[in-house]
Amino acid sequence: MGISEYFRLAIRALKSNVMRTALSMLGISIGVAVTILVVAIGQGATKSVADQVNGMGTNLLMVHQGAREMKLTAAGRSTTSTSTTLSSSTTTTSVKATTTPQGTLTLADALMIEKMFPESVQAIAPQVRGGVQVRLGSSNASSNVLGTTPEYLVVNNSTVRLGRFFTAVENAQNMKVCVLGSTLAENLTGNSSANLVGQNISVNRDNYLVVGMLAAKGTGTGGPDPDDVVVIPLSTAMARILAITTISDLSISCVSPIMMPLAQQQVTSLLRQRHHLVPPFPQNDDFVVRNQADLLVRSQSVTKTMTMLLTAVAIISLIVGGIGIMNVMLMSVKERTREIGIRKAIGARAHDILMQFLVEASIISILGGVAGAVLGVVSAILLASFGGWNTIVSPTTLIVSIVVSAGVGIFFGIHPAQKAATMRPIEALRYE
Amino acid sequence: MDRVDLVDANVELLLRLRDITKEYNIGGQEVYALDGVSLDVNVGEFVAIMGPSGSGKSTMMNMIGCLDVPSGGSYEIDGAEVSSLDDDELASIRNKKIGFVFQGFNLIARTTALENVELPLVYGRIKDRRNTAIAALQRVGLGDRIEHTSSELSGGQQQRVAIARAIVTQPRLILADEPTGNISTLQSEEIMQIFQELNDNGVTIVMVTHEEDIARHCKRRVEMRDGKIVSDQPIEDRLVAKDVIEQMKSQAITRKPLALAGT
Repeated sequence: MGISEYFRLAIRALKSNVMRTALSMLGISIGVAVTILVVAIGQGATKSVADQVNGMGTNLLMVHQGAREMKLTAAGRSTTSTSTTLSSSTTTTSVKATTTPQGTLTLADALMIEKMFPESVQAIAPQVRGGVQVRLGSSNASSNVLGTTPEYLVVNNSTVRLGRFFTAVENAQNMKVCVLGSTLAENLTGNSSANLVGQNISVNRDNYLVVGMLAAKGTGTGGPDPDDVVVIPLSTAMARILAITTISDLSISCVSPIMMPLAQQQVTSLLRQRHHLVPPFPQNDDFVVRNQADLLVRSQSVTKTMTMLLTAVAIISLIVGGIGIMNVMLMSVKERTREIGIRKAIGARAHDILMQFLVEASIISILGGVAGAVLGVVSAILLASFGGWNTIVSPTTLIVSIVVSAGVGIFFGIHPAQKAATMRPIEALRYE
Repeated sequence: MDRVDLVDANVELLLRLRDITKEYNIGGQEVYALDGVSLDVNVGEFVAIMGPSGSGKSTMMNMIGCLDVPSGGSYEIDGAEVSSLDDDELASIRNKKIGFVFQGFNLIARTTALENVELPLVYGRIKDRRNTAIAALQRVGLGDRIEHTSSELSGGQQQRVAIARAIVTQPRLILADEPTGNISTLQSEEIMQIFQELNDNGVTIVMVTHEEDIARHCKRRVEMRDGKIVSDQPIEDRLVAKDVIEQMKSQAITRKPLALAGT
């Protein structure tokens, strides 16, 4: 008896009880749909994180000040404080603005990096950050100030949508000019694409001339909004708003991806030398150098955990679907005991009966799998277009989930099929 | 006990049962459904097995049909010792050498007559199933009903589909368990007519029945009681179904005006 014959038999049996077939398919359908949706969300999240990190700039190194400073030993601290004169001696605490705590990273560090490693470092953008109150006419918004140099545009892969970025001269002269991010523009005017070029806004009660509007970067997945920002010249921010002499972080654009490890190593050793740090490293470092790859790994480990959790949910729902199939098949075998007896009486071998029920279970699960795949793809598309989620459905996911559902059907179909196959014909025939 | 011993060189032995026993354990007590039965059936015979319920005749049929295995004794069908065969070989014997006709028809539900009749050919891995099955259905007079499902057929028609299914593999032996149990007298006669035609063409038939009138269509009568054969005799005043049907039809015609006159 060929496989096509078993197939024909199975189709007939399934057609004869459409409702039961549909119900037994439902479990596996939901399992497959969930699996596809979960993987689509996971892959989408991974991709948007990657996009976001890549959007930060190409060949980007980021140097943050003193993440480990608090943990420094007293001895370590004393050697640092005497040497980094710029940062410790001239510091006055800001009364006007919330500032990042005073650190050890200075403008001089940035200039030195730029000067010493032209072979690996293409451009460098020192940055200071703080929270400010911004006002335009009668509208008020809490926002973030970012003081930087004109290199910021290149290094951080930002573009100006309207107007222009401020110039090196404006920076050198502590000019009160600013460039606005799209979220801040929206908070002030209600319109993210508003044109405020040429207008004056008040930043912490001081007037600034808007010279340009930044293009939106987007948030991607979580994190602070990079578009809720007013960008002003570094010197202006340090002197007028934040009243600090150290900088929060440095963005360094490397010449090429190949030069990144070298640049990272050069910057690290230069800063250790300039800050007079002593081993052990990195415990005694008062700065952290990160590259995009580090950031990707960090954020992807989060998505990976999420994907694993959701995959566990998907596997459980597939198992539940499989148990549903087994349940229906066991009922079906019991219900058709007499039919099994008749088939055996007219010459069906155990193998024939086994195959009949196994093919039936497989068809239920494959049809359920295909239906689930359609459901999963449709909900992934709906989630993307209405929920604003980034979802990616790959053909591999589809094929794997359908193959897995067929496997589930066969696995959970074996027990009922064996039960049918090993029935004694005489007992099966007597069954009422 | 009388036994018809046809020791003849021209006669071929089909079934050979020797001291067959079948015991069941019911509530810790051994009950003998068959208690040392010996029986020979030759090719071309038409045997009626009779007896009250509990006499062991159905158990006997299941043994002969290889649906059940004996507890003791020896059973050969067409020269093969059944106790030495495995399940697949038994299935093959049921498929090729035996055709079953049951009291309850036992057609597969929601399946057409043609598909029911094709089924033994499917399990026998035989090609050209459709034409063979149609020929079998034509032989039982159902050539115009091949696409009907069992729920669309009368009891007699269903039993004829069952007979077509039994003969489609051209078995040497037909086993019928109360084949006329659930159908009207006329339909019973029609069934017996088919059996008699098959028997005339050399098919061996063993039939269990409790109806004396039906048993009289056979050639040999075996009576059982308490798991033993108590009598085994040839049937002298054999009925021919074809004649009985003609008689019934003529009676129906002559009776009709009478019935009308009565109203």
